[in-house]
Amino acid sequence: MRLNQSLVSSDPFEKHLIKRKRKMSWKKKAAIGALMLTSMVDMFSMLVVFLLQTFSTSPEILINKGVTLPDSVTATEVREAPVLAVAKDGNLYLDQKIVGEVTKVLKAPKKLMNQLHDIKIDWAKSHAGQAFPGEINLQADKEVPSTTVSQLMGILTTGEFSTIKLAVIGLR
Amino acid sequence: MKKKVGLGSKKELNAELNLTPFIDLLSTCVCFLLITAVWIEIGTVEIKQSHGTEAAASKKETYDLDIVYKNPTQVRLNLKRNGRRVKGFKVESDSTENLQAVLDQTIKEKVLTFKKKAIEIATATITPRSTVQYGQLVETLDTLRSNEIINIGVLSAKGR
Repeated sequence: MRLNQSLVSSDPFEKHLIKRKRKMSWKKKAAIGALMLTSMVDMFSMLVVFLLQTFSTSPEILINKGVTLPDSVTATEVREAPVLAVAKDGNLYLDQKIVGEVTKVLKAPKKLMNQLHDIKIDWAKSHAGQAFPGEINLQADKEVPSTTVSQLMGILTTGEFSTIKLAVIGLR
Repeated sequence: MKKKVGLGSKKELNAELNLTPFIDLLSTCVCFLLITAVWIEIGTVEIKQSHGTEAAASKKETYDLDIVYKNPTQVRLNLKRNGRRVKGFKVESDSTENLQAVLDQTIKEKVLTFKKKAIEIATATITPRSTVQYGQLVETLDTLRSNEIINIGVLSAKGR
């Protein structure tokens, strides 16, 4: 009971404040509110400068779901190329489309090789007369065994994708 | 604006700046930049798999380095010249976190200043292990690249 009195019920000063507030709300309040424009413009300008500094025009690649990329201090700029991704759950994706389980793909890489070949043909059609650069972005979860990634690299090299770019989170 | 009495033809010195379009422009800029901002910067680490003849042609007077993972805390470095092993270094650490620091120190102190002479590493090859995570492999690549060893290949051997 004491607890109720002390915590839940309002004390006389609180009651006085509530009454005063009610009285105040009945009266007409002044509708003019001064907006500090100078500080607002300052804040906007600072925001614009900060955002312009962080603005980048380099191409971006999507990170597949279930892929935590490793960090790197020596990362270079991303270039547009097909993306092969190894997720933590063991699935392999080529340009966001699932290829299959990575262990099965490593045992029978024909499906992946065919898809890589299709990419190469599409590239040759759109870039007639140019040599194939063989660039590919490889995304892999940082907890995936390194031998899995190295075996995939072997498949990619066999499929004429010899310039392999490992996607990382750039630390500066 | 009212003309002040008694000042004659003198103009008012204080000019009023119309802030509304200025704020409009700034808000539009902020919105556009916030939408297009990239908060996670993705980069790449390039791997050059030595399958061509160019890598073999440049192997004349320079050294090559083989980095063989024994386990996540132990690495063997093999310094080679013209395909023959010249010297081996054992790099060991008490934890995976410290391995990169020890590896970096070994490369700087023992490999790049081999026999008290500054040498150049033309190519480096990493042999991974199934017990070594991909994140650790990228850390090793980082260590090599920070020591100006750029031509790095990863041996595509089956997992052991």
